[in-house]
Amino acid sequence: MTDLASSGTRRTGGTAASNGRGLTGLLLVSAPVALLGWLIIYPIFNAIARTLLAPTETGTAFSTDTYVRFFSDGYALANLWLTLSVTAVCAALLLAICLPLALYLRFAKSRVAGVVQGLALFPMFVPSVILAYALIRTIGPNGGVDLVLNALGLPKINSPYLTPWGPIIGLVWDNIPLTTLMLVAGLGAVSDNAVEAARDAGARPLALLRHIILPQIGNAMLVVLSFTVLSIFSAFTLPYVLGPASPEMMGPFMQRTFSQVMDPRMAVTQAVITFAICAVFGAFYVRSIAKNREARR
Amino acid sequence: MTAIDPTTLSAEVPVHRTKRPDWLGLALALALGIVVVIPLLVVAIWAFAEVWRYPSLLPQEFGFRFWQATLARPDVWNAMSLSLRLSITVTLLSALICLPAAYAFARMDFPGRNVLFLSFLASHAFPKFGLLVAIAGIFLNLGLISTFWGVVLIQLVGTLMMMIWIPVAAFQNVDRAMEEAARDAGAGPIRVFWSVSLPQAAPTIFAAVLLSFVGTFYETEGAWLIGAPEIRTMPVLMITYINNQIVVQYGAVLSVLLWVPSFIALMFTRRLVGSGSFAKGFGV
Repeated sequence: MTDLASSGTRRTGGTAASNGRGLTGLLLVSAPVALLGWLIIYPIFNAIARTLLAPTETGTAFSTDTYVRFFSDGYALANLWLTLSVTAVCAALLLAICLPLALYLRFAKSRVAGVVQGLALFPMFVPSVILAYALIRTIGPNGGVDLVLNALGLPKINSPYLTPWGPIIGLVWDNIPLTTLMLVAGLGAVSDNAVEAARDAGARPLALLRHIILPQIGNAMLVVLSFTVLSIFSAFTLPYVLGPASPEMMGPFMQRTFSQVMDPRMAVTQAVITFAICAVFGAFYVRSIAKNREARR
Repeated sequence: MTAIDPTTLSAEVPVHRTKRPDWLGLALALALGIVVVIPLLVVAIWAFAEVWRYPSLLPQEFGFRFWQATLARPDVWNAMSLSLRLSITVTLLSALICLPAAYAFARMDFPGRNVLFLSFLASHAFPKFGLLVAIAGIFLNLGLISTFWGVVLIQLVGTLMMMIWIPVAAFQNVDRAMEEAARDAGAGPIRVFWSVSLPQAAPTIFAAVLLSFVGTFYETEGAWLIGAPEIRTMPVLMITYINNQIVVQYGAVLSVLLWVPSFIALMFTRRLVGSGSFAKGFGV
């Protein structure tokens, strides 16, 4: 739908006219492009430069002191490790929940599918702050789940609130809509005919999934994975409210280093480290967008 | 477009199975219903509970006492008015700079068009909170930390992507034949844009504007990192309520209040969000 290339072919008219339109076009996009350059691209380079160049008496000199400090600090490493494991668990859970959902939505032909779709998209419209509060009241100590269990004469749950499972539950809940949407869009590439043919030939559901469906949505799954890793790695609100205080996830850790420890250079160093870890996924994500645009040209 | 909509699917594919209840669908709907609705239901009950002591399944007393108590707090009103002013400023500015850009990306040809458009989509490829910290480092030197305009700038960046790629799709879907017809009838380019192109693109653009407004209203990370301690928006106030655990009902009442704009957005934008084009913006 957002293919820019198609409009280019319809263009007619002389070079002079298109030069004029070229300038107008550039002028029209200049404000958001400038903002993008100033507040997304420049900060990334600025962050790298700021952390690698330390001020000395004679000016600035190359230094990796903050990185050395980060990687020799057991607490910082524990935070990084926690973030990585939470991200991995969330990604696995999201695929396990959303792939069946997406498969159902892609192939379902009943009225119920509309309801399922509505419910799956619903969390997108619930802001994380409200979600965090709702989860505390539901699965926190003496929360809604405990009330029901108690009424049934069962023992209370081991509350995930303030453990790594708190943010995991919250982040999975929050990411279900986009993950499902992206997977359904990816499943659009699988033709009904191929599936029907394989089914008529006697393929079982699992074989169908493995040999017909999964090979065709491999790219979509990797995009989803990249996107999930990027969004969970940089989550702040849910880990801050629901997560453990020590070790903490990278989001709250960076915030605390910046605002409470008042060490912006260290905070920016932590940010650069998250950039580096996410770079592979980011690069893959960008490559995939670019490839999709190429394909639609 | 990917047909999530079951009605279009059933029109294309001959259904040669016997009609039977969609047990799988019902099971999924039930599971999702429990997981998605129950936490919000618990909050809604808390908002109207005056006394709710463990282990009673339902509150001992219902009432509106805590609504009055919450709405009588000046910090709630300050945060609400600040949040509204921020969201309106950001959405207006964003529409002002992004919509013309979206039109240019969709309909004009200029050097670097594809690379620039791709760079907007690619701005998702960085971990957002790390980026915020990097920006905060710059804002610290510029004196923008803890100011209204500092938060406006940070939230404006957050709306860029949505306010560009959704309107781009809208402008591309405008019926060219109608524009040509208007031009043949003697309408000038501005007249064509105002009377033919814009009305066709308007519903989708409206949805994008609404999503930006609601997204900005709920934006927490930027407001927290850049705005603290002076700028206290509704979500930031909500976090302080959660952390300080003062009165459970304050948070519940605020949640119910805060959920209203989101519900309006849900009503208006479900069609857009459910369409395949929304997911395509994320590179699938």
